Amino acid sequence: METFYDVMRRQGITRRSFLKYCSLTAAALGLGPSFAPKIAHAMETKERIPVLWLHGLECTCCSESFIRSAHPLAKDVVLSMLSLDYDDTIMAAAGHEAEAIIEEIVTKYKGKYLLAVEGNPPLNEDGMYCIIGGKPFTDQLTYASQHAKAIISWGSCASWGCVQAARPNPTRATPVHKVPGIGNKPIIKVPGCPPIAEVMTAVVTYILTFERFPELDRQGRPKMFYSQRIHDKCYRRPHFDAGQFVEKWDDEGAKKGYCLYKMGCKGPTTYNACSTVRWNGGLSFPIQAGHGCIGCSEDGFWDKGGFYDRLTDIHQFGIEANADEIGVGAATVVGAAAAAHAAVSAVKQARTKGDND
Amino acid sequence: MADQMADQAASQQTAVYVYEAPVRIWHWVNAFAIIALCVTGYFIGSPLSSVSGEASDHYVMGYMRFVHFAAAYIFIIGFVFRAYWAIVGNSHSREIYLPRIFSKDFWDELWHEIKWYSFLVDEPKKYTGHNPLAILAMHLMFVWGSIFMIISGLALYGEGAGMGSWQYQFFSSWLIPLMGQSQDVHTYHHLVMWLLIIFAIIHIYVAVREDIMSRQSIISSMISGWRLFKDNRPSND
Amino acid sequence: MAIQTPNGFTLDTSGERVVVDPVTRIEGHMRCEVNVNSDNIITNAVSTGTMWRGLEVILKNRDPRDAWAFVQRICGVCTGTHALTSVRAVEDALNIEIPDNANSIRNIMQLSLEIHDHLVHFYHLHALDWVNPINALKADPRDTSALQKASSPRHPKSSPGYFRDIQNRLKKFVESGQLGPFKNGYWDNPAYILPPEADLMAVTHYLEALDFQKEIMKTRTIFGGKDPHPNWLVGGVPCPINIDGEGSVGAINMESLNHVRSIINQTIEFVDNVYIPDIIAIGKIYYDAGWHYGGGISGTDALAYGDIPDKPNDFSAKNLMMPRGAIIKGNLNEVHEVDHRDPEQIQEFVPHSWYKYDDESKGLHPWDGVTDPNYELGPKTIGTRTDIKQLDEAAKYSWIKAPRWRGNAMEVGPLSRYLVGYASKHTEFTDQITDTLGALGNAPVSALFTTIGRTAARALEAQWCAYKQRYFLDKMIANIKAGDETTANTESWDPSTWPKEVKGVGFTEAPRGALAHWIRIKDQKIENYQCVVPTTWNGSPRDNEGNIGAFEASLMNTKVERPHEPVEILRTIHSFDPCLACSTH
Ligand code: HEM
Ligand code: HEM
Ligand code: NFV
Ligand code: SF4
Ligand code: SF4
Ligand code: F3S
Ligand SMILES: [Mg+2]
Repeated sequence: METFYDVMRRQGITRRSFLKYCSLTAAALGLGPSFAPKIAHAMETKERIPVLWLHGLECTCCSESFIRSAHPLAKDVVLSMLSLDYDDTIMAAAGHEAEAIIEEIVTKYKGKYLLAVEGNPPLNEDGMYCIIGGKPFTDQLTYASQHAKAIISWGSCASWGCVQAARPNPTRATPVHKVPGIGNKPIIKVPGCPPIAEVMTAVVTYILTFERFPELDRQGRPKMFYSQRIHDKCYRRPHFDAGQFVEKWDDEGAKKGYCLYKMGCKGPTTYNACSTVRWNGGLSFPIQAGHGCIGCSEDGFWDKGGFYDRLTDIHQFGIEANADEIGVGAATVVGAAAAAHAAVSAVKQARTKGDND
Repeated sequence: MADQMADQAASQQTAVYVYEAPVRIWHWVNAFAIIALCVTGYFIGSPLSSVSGEASDHYVMGYMRFVHFAAAYIFIIGFVFRAYWAIVGNSHSREIYLPRIFSKDFWDELWHEIKWYSFLVDEPKKYTGHNPLAILAMHLMFVWGSIFMIISGLALYGEGAGMGSWQYQFFSSWLIPLMGQSQDVHTYHHLVMWLLIIFAIIHIYVAVREDIMSRQSIISSMISGWRLFKDNRPSND
Repeated sequence: MAIQTPNGFTLDTSGERVVVDPVTRIEGHMRCEVNVNSDNIITNAVSTGTMWRGLEVILKNRDPRDAWAFVQRICGVCTGTHALTSVRAVEDALNIEIPDNANSIRNIMQLSLEIHDHLVHFYHLHALDWVNPINALKADPRDTSALQKASSPRHPKSSPGYFRDIQNRLKKFVESGQLGPFKNGYWDNPAYILPPEADLMAVTHYLEALDFQKEIMKTRTIFGGKDPHPNWLVGGVPCPINIDGEGSVGAINMESLNHVRSIINQTIEFVDNVYIPDIIAIGKIYYDAGWHYGGGISGTDALAYGDIPDKPNDFSAKNLMMPRGAIIKGNLNEVHEVDHRDPEQIQEFVPHSWYKYDDESKGLHPWDGVTDPNYELGPKTIGTRTDIKQLDEAAKYSWIKAPRWRGNAMEVGPLSRYLVGYASKHTEFTDQITDTLGALGNAPVSALFTTIGRTAARALEAQWCAYKQRYFLDKMIANIKAGDETTANTESWDPSTWPKEVKGVGFTEAPRGALAHWIRIKDQKIENYQCVVPTTWNGSPRDNEGNIGAFEASLMNTKVERPHEPVEILRTIHSFDPCLACSTH
């Protein structure tokens, strides 16, 4: 990878002014002039990949999840693996000094930095439901996306829209890949509300270690973590196959760890690594602690009806009911109509017969 | 035009061979497969009450799903075979696949059929094959409904079989994002079951009714293959 | 020209206007504008919430049993507190009583959140306002080791070699020229006054705390399946207890209880040996240097709802282990009763918020609350609708509503809880306060009503919470021993058993302060759902009478070393641990 020095040279900056930059940097940091050559040396040799981690409309729980990573530790990712140059949640700089960083990275590392996005931008009200530096977040996002090497969409917000995009999506919150003007870059979706910490750090370290992007499925998710459903690897699966279900919270079946299908578990329709990687250092995952999966890594999981219903609601055509309710309703109407029709037919048949006789 | 002449001629006779053996066998195999699919499908969506004891001693959901998948493959193979037969079989074998919607007669007859079902005319016409209303219902509800169930069913199957499976590659991979997510595929697969059930209710009711009230044999035709007419008058009089 | 606010501040906009946007190291998006006079004193402060998602709109017509999952996503930092508040609101509306074990489990989960949130806030969001990591490079590791041993003798990581290793790692990091999160910090600003050895100790603990914090939340993974955003249940908790029956390994059993105990013990150790000593050490240096800014309305108008019910289902002040009450106009001799149901007490105003009411001269009680967005800027705004250079605070200027208690702007949070606890003469809190004031060199009580006091109260509370976790674990084990393994009450689970129309309110003490949700349920669906959140209180814009909110008040009269380097502004704002996603929701 090109070093910082290479980049500066390429932009026509002389060695003299490069060294001057280094001593200024040292001075700005309150370090003695003895630091300048060391900084220069470091800049000429190795580089950590710069990362801009932007935040739109979100709840920051993707960041919270990230710092729960046990292997690697979040500390090691941030100090040794990449250079987290912009992340409003933890960065020291604020205001103009913070905003200046984005511009600096975008110009100095054209095509070389990663853009990580947590949350998503609202499009209604000219984007002013999410303001940064007095301007809509969409400005910051589209600007930073233009020259990124790739975009990582953290969590269900960036990947799909998540809770703020749930009906009626008052702000028109829009997932990253659907934002008008977003740079035409590879987008790696890491959905989940939030994603599993170790999945997040694994995606980052994969890119750094193998110097390539993970293989993605059709929808842009790394196959290594999102190719199977919770249900496919759920340890309660034998109870599912046996037909042993929790019928009521805290019943005998619940105590024995029966399958949560009838309590609305969305494991059969949810692609995520919870039942294998598990959460918080492999300790547990929602189903293990007795609650069904709510499908938090799936597109639009908020709008599929109640979390405790196995059959989900249909909202199209002004209907709000599940398939069986609609089906039984329609079949009853048709059945009744057929019966009525049969009755009329019988009467008519009898009359015709009578006429003929 | 030629068809019409043939029909006209046929209506003068008392018996015509309409449903070839493969169609008849298919019809009944298909009917049983669909019944099995509906029953097992319903209980996949809303399972029976839990059984107690060791998980390893039971396989209730497992069997339910096994029967569903077994019936599904019978249904799929049957459907593919029936589609093939529509090409090589007699003209009646094509009726429900390619309804004669470009023929004016078809629409006239359809109108007549609607009036017959609304008790507005005293007598139906005679048909060697299906009546146009039946054709339309069979085409829209049954043929397309079946295609949807096969595609969505295979897409659901591919989810369990895994990304490497042909079911996943050819079906799940595009259908799931197209419909939104896996849950939506389940929902629509489930919903279209009800469409087929409604078709079956109408279909069976009408078959019985026509058997009694129309001018030709109906149920026995699907057993013997022969269409018998109850009168010798022309179709229209 | 100066304006007098009813709550006692003199606002003067004649000096230079300084804008900080984005305010970083907080949750969510916030903007701050201040006027600074020629002596570099802040004479006017404007705080703006710059995001809105519309959760209250999204919740309409949904199943009340699902609401916790939606509102939990209001915030991933105070993850779970909204969910708990929500299930309490629904249970209140439907008269559902939860079992004893569920109460203990919920309390342990809520307490772990308080500890985690406070710890992460101090080290990872707030420390860089006090600590200069670059200065740490100048430290002699032996001095740091000596300081560590003096300030916290029981902390095992204290050798000079340990600090040298950390310093070397930091050195390598800085020399790389890629400063990551430290980039463009204000590292030569004279507002940073710690000696290098204290800076090195604090930076070391920044890293230790980053490694440790993830352990605290594991109790929630055991009971709730994951963290952030564990699972909750209307009527109790979703995890069953099965101590010795068939299949017990899949439920809460002896192994999981032991695991929880071990996490609690480690947490107590970390808070006692690292967090508290750091707060005292750093706080004392700044306090002794005369940095007493940032009090705002903390000593005069404080509100706490109380939380951590000892017995389940009893939310009266005497059963709540965290204090409950309101203090107004600085009168510590009177702790007022707080009633969430009284339409006259808690009201939200919007004349300066980007929302519409039919009559904006009045406030609305949350049961009748309205959330109808209305983005418009005042005539004195500088810039455009989508490129704001300077806000017009005489008009609407924030996505945060302005909640008021009997018309008063109130501060909420750990400091308010401690103040209410202190005024109620609750010995658990008065003892901790006395000890801390003693450690600060017998400082007066007024030392609490500062930015430093706000930050210290948070640490004290983390300690209180850590020990209370142990109390509830023991309580739960005693209850199981007595034969009760119930964790959920499902009597009213089925919506067809519900009355046609009901309303309820649930509250918690979230890490950042008093939190409540008001719900109306009609025909089994949510008819109206309103959240009034800690940062809504603290970060509130002006109200119809011109009272400024707690953030704004706290910045007033602060001296800034360099007006264009917002170190002091960040320091004081951060002492509230602002959560903007929460505040606007
Ligand atoms: C007439 C045709 C069919 C009917 C009426 C039918 C009905 C159903 C129903 C009601 C469900 C439950 C859906 C839910 O609520 O989750 C279901 C599930 C399923 N069906 Fe079908 N189905 C049909 C054809 C097929 C076909 C052709 C396949 C192809 C293999 C198939 C494969 C599946 C699979 C894989 C599932 C999911 C099983 C599970 O979740 O464990 N189905 N079906
Ligand atoms: C007791 C049950 C059933 C009876 C008595 C029955 C009867 C019949 C009869 C009499 C016909 C010929 C109609 C005509 O000549 O116009 C027919 C055709 C047909 N039936 Fe059924 N049927 C039954 C069940 C089903 C079921 C469950 C299905 C599928 C949902 C089905 C699908 C069809 C189709 C698609 C045709 C058209 C065949 C073709 O033209 O290729 N039937 N049925
Ligand atoms: N303000 C706030 Fe929260 C808290 N604590 C909650 O209610 O942080 Ni996001
Ligand atoms: S995806 Fe979920 S967890 Fe992540 S920021 Fe969005 S709401 Fe929070
Ligand atoms: S608990 Fe959920 S994921 Fe596990 S087997 Fe049952 S339905 Fe599948
Ligand atoms: S709810 Fe989310 S955390 Fe995993 S088990 Fe389901 S995807
Ligand atoms: Mg609100």
